[in-house]
Amino acid sequence: MSVVILLSMDNTNGSRGEVPYGTLDLMVLKTLDSMGPLHGYGIARRIEQVSQGGLALNQGTIYPALLRLEQHGWITSDWGISENKRRARFYSISAAGRRQLAAETENWSRAVAMVSRLLEGQS
Amino acid sequence: MIRLRVALARLRGFLARRKGELRIQEEIESHLAMLASEFQRRGLSPREARLAARREFGGAAQIREEWRRVRGLPWIETLARDVAYALRQLRRNPAFAAAAILTLALGIGANTAIYQVLYAVVFRPLPVTEPGRLVQVELAQNGQPQHFSYPLFRELEARQNALDGMFAVSEFPLRQATLRGRGLAKAVHGALVTGDYFRVLGVTARLGRVFTKQDDRTSAPLAVISDRFWEAEFERSPAVLGQTLEINRVVATIIGVAPRGFFGETLGQTPDVWMPMSLQPRLMPADYLNAPYFTWLAVIGRLRPDVPVRRAQAALDALYQRNANLSVRTAGPPTRLQLRPASRGIDELRHFADPLYVLMAIAGLVLLIASSNLANLLLSRAAARTHEIGVRLAVGAGRGRLLRQLLTESFVLSAIGAALALWFARWGSRMLVVLARQQIALEPGWGAVAFTAAVAIGVTCLFGIAPALAATRVDLHTALRAGRRGGYPPGRGGRRQFLRKSLVVVQVSVSLLLVFSAGLLVRTLSNLRRQNFGFQPDRILQVGLPLEISAWRHNAALADPLREKISALPGVRVTALSAFGPMADFQQTGFFAAPGRPAQESDAARMVHVSPGYFHIMARIVAGRGFTAEDRQGATPVAVLSQTAARKLFSQDDPVGKFVSYSKQFERRQQLLVAGVAHDVHFAPRDPYGFIVYVPLAQNPAPVTEIEVRAAGDPAAIAAIVRSAIQSAAPNLRIGEIRTLSDAIDAGLIQERMMAWLSAAFGALALLLTFVGVYGVIGYAVERRIPEIGIRLALGARRGQISSLILKDVSLSLGVSLLVGGAASVAAGRALKNLLFGIGSVDGTLAGAALSIAAVSLAAAYLPARRGARLDPTEALREE
Repeated sequence: MSVVILLSMDNTNGSRGEVPYGTLDLMVLKTLDSMGPLHGYGIARRIEQVSQGGLALNQGTIYPALLRLEQHGWITSDWGISENKRRARFYSISAAGRRQLAAETENWSRAVAMVSRLLEGQS
Repeated sequence: MIRLRVALARLRGFLARRKGELRIQEEIESHLAMLASEFQRRGLSPREARLAARREFGGAAQIREEWRRVRGLPWIETLARDVAYALRQLRRNPAFAAAAILTLALGIGANTAIYQVLYAVVFRPLPVTEPGRLVQVELAQNGQPQHFSYPLFRELEARQNALDGMFAVSEFPLRQATLRGRGLAKAVHGALVTGDYFRVLGVTARLGRVFTKQDDRTSAPLAVISDRFWEAEFERSPAVLGQTLEINRVVATIIGVAPRGFFGETLGQTPDVWMPMSLQPRLMPADYLNAPYFTWLAVIGRLRPDVPVRRAQAALDALYQRNANLSVRTAGPPTRLQLRPASRGIDELRHFADPLYVLMAIAGLVLLIASSNLANLLLSRAAARTHEIGVRLAVGAGRGRLLRQLLTESFVLSAIGAALALWFARWGSRMLVVLARQQIALEPGWGAVAFTAAVAIGVTCLFGIAPALAATRVDLHTALRAGRRGGYPPGRGGRRQFLRKSLVVVQVSVSLLLVFSAGLLVRTLSNLRRQNFGFQPDRILQVGLPLEISAWRHNAALADPLREKISALPGVRVTALSAFGPMADFQQTGFFAAPGRPAQESDAARMVHVSPGYFHIMARIVAGRGFTAEDRQGATPVAVLSQTAARKLFSQDDPVGKFVSYSKQFERRQQLLVAGVAHDVHFAPRDPYGFIVYVPLAQNPAPVTEIEVRAAGDPAAIAAIVRSAIQSAAPNLRIGEIRTLSDAIDAGLIQERMMAWLSAAFGALALLLTFVGVYGVIGYAVERRIPEIGIRLALGARRGQISSLILKDVSLSLGVSLLVGGAASVAAGRALKNLLFGIGSVDGTLAGAALSIAAVSLAAAYLPARRGARLDPTEALREE
């Protein structure tokens, strides 16, 4: 998943972190995996809630990421009706997406563990 | 897998662009609506909620742009936009576009045309199955390859198992075969092949069938014809199968048509018909099939996949050494059998490769001149577009983006030019083959397209990159101030002028090289034509009689009646018959010895059979006598020596009255009395004066291959009556060409003439391009200096001073070019040495070429210089 994430455009506020490189896709996959089919707005909301405002995510940046994931065959999408009766596109994770999510989660935990060990060892 | 899937998804996205636009539009709107209602729910007014939603969402335009970048194939879309823009630019400047495209089309087309021929001559593998496994089986003595005798071949073929089959082939018996029964008797080009020929090559018939070993064994009179012959003689009628061809009086049944493009195993030959080897005794007067002393066959085999070439060669050589008695054994070092790669077949065109390489180099250099002209044109355009480029830079276009745009324009030019070039090359290559009178089967293929594309890309880089870099290296301030009209920014101008001058130096020096080479090749042709041949080419008419081996005896009986009949014609002074004489298609070589002086390999002796009267037409007698009717069968055998032969055999002594013999060592039993000495003649334009021994036709029967006629007036005027006289005397005789010896000489100089004409044409083109190039650069320089010239004139400079100021600049570039080009020319003269003839010193040619280049360049510079000098100072100053 070597993808460049569009960084926030109003990231003048030091307290909100940038989206770490390559993690938006992972977050989207995880969200769809745990929440079931969602539209773009729902995904963005969910990620914001989980990060508790710690991410400088422009909600729009979710769409190029969704398209990219769809091109990889990890998610699928179809038109549906949203809770406030608007036509919206709903995304759901595919079997390939679940496998990818598992692999990436594994990678991520390994990397985090390694960095933590390194930092603890240094201090 | 994933990559492929993503690429396909992108392709789908690219194709469904409009649908994608609608989708992202709707998604964004619905997202904004949901966000806005969320904010409204938190208590904002509808208007505030909409604004807040937009803030939270981020820049919708940027998101959409990024989304598009992911969705489709952005580089194609950019490219399409660039190409469309480039086409608009070209349409706005049709004169420039036409000039550039035509230059490129001609320049690249010439290169592709020559490449196509060169590829067919030098690189193309035979159009057969797995040509890489074909090997030529050679007998080599001291590195000199020898042919096979049929008994030796038969024995090797029957006993070997190192190769996956082998075949023998010879075109010698049928190279000038006669086809009768289909209109007038005419020439047909055939090849005799052994039964495994088509199987070893892996070629099957496109119609009917090919020979098998069984056909060869039973001596069945069969023929397989070429696709070309099928078309020419039978208009591709499928009813051709079963029809018969009478070739050299053998009636053969057509059993098949070879595939289109198949020309046999020998490069430079395109047989019309293949016949089984076992027919040889019926096609020729002598039986070669049981004669170990006739070595006349080329042999090709196919390597087995499991036997490496080295092992196959060792096995075959061992087999050969056990059967060497089945071939002529000559004295000297032992003969070894060797295998040579033959994926390209047997090469009879090697001599044609060198001239083609030279032409390729010349065409490449012309293209170099053409591209520097284009570079100059583009530089001028860049200057004119300074304002436009400045504006685009100012509004935020990156330099890289602009570079890409400008290069796209160059590539569009090249692409159109290259497409036209392919079309030019199609008939160009055919014309080249016709000009060279070569038998080469050309086939347009992807190779030519790839070559054209590669050349086009290379050329575009040559002429496009430097001007594009120069064009985008503008100073914004001056560029914008220069105004819409375009201007000449003073700051960076110096660098561009240097680039332009370097381009001119390249052009002028390469032109010098080309004009000089053309001069050498033209002089070579003229030297070859104007040398002293030893006879008067423009007074003598020569009738060629194609060597009809099957009709030897028949021809000999015709000799006297023919001579009488022609001699009686009005306007004819003397007539003679000859066999294997100068300026004709055939020659007979051998060894001649005098007592105490054995024959030597270096003599290159040739025997010419002549009738009485010959020495009044061709080589005149300088000592002793020529032949008369008295020198007949049963009288003392006599000979006449050429001056060269006399000198070599008898050095200073008078040879008349002495003896020579047709053998390596002098043999009394075969001696000939030397009756006279004849003036030296050239056997062919490029031959030195030859070692020739003339013998009377009456004492040494041979097929008459030429009739020489000395006319009282213009020999060409009596050609028609000579032809009808021969036809009435011998209705069944096939008459070849009737032409003056001047024409025969010219026919022998086809390659030289082709080189002279083409190099002269390319040289002229180079001069023209150089004129245009110099004119353009100086014109531009003068225009740039208009204000300066105005000031000079206002301060009292005379007009002569102004033009010499401009010309001085040119002279410097010209001087440098002549030095560089002169050095290159000297090197080229050395490289061309093998193609040249009779050129002692190249100084005169070099001086002439340099003078013509200097004259052309100065003329091209003078026109703008004069315009500069004639400027009105007030007008000029107003420009500022």
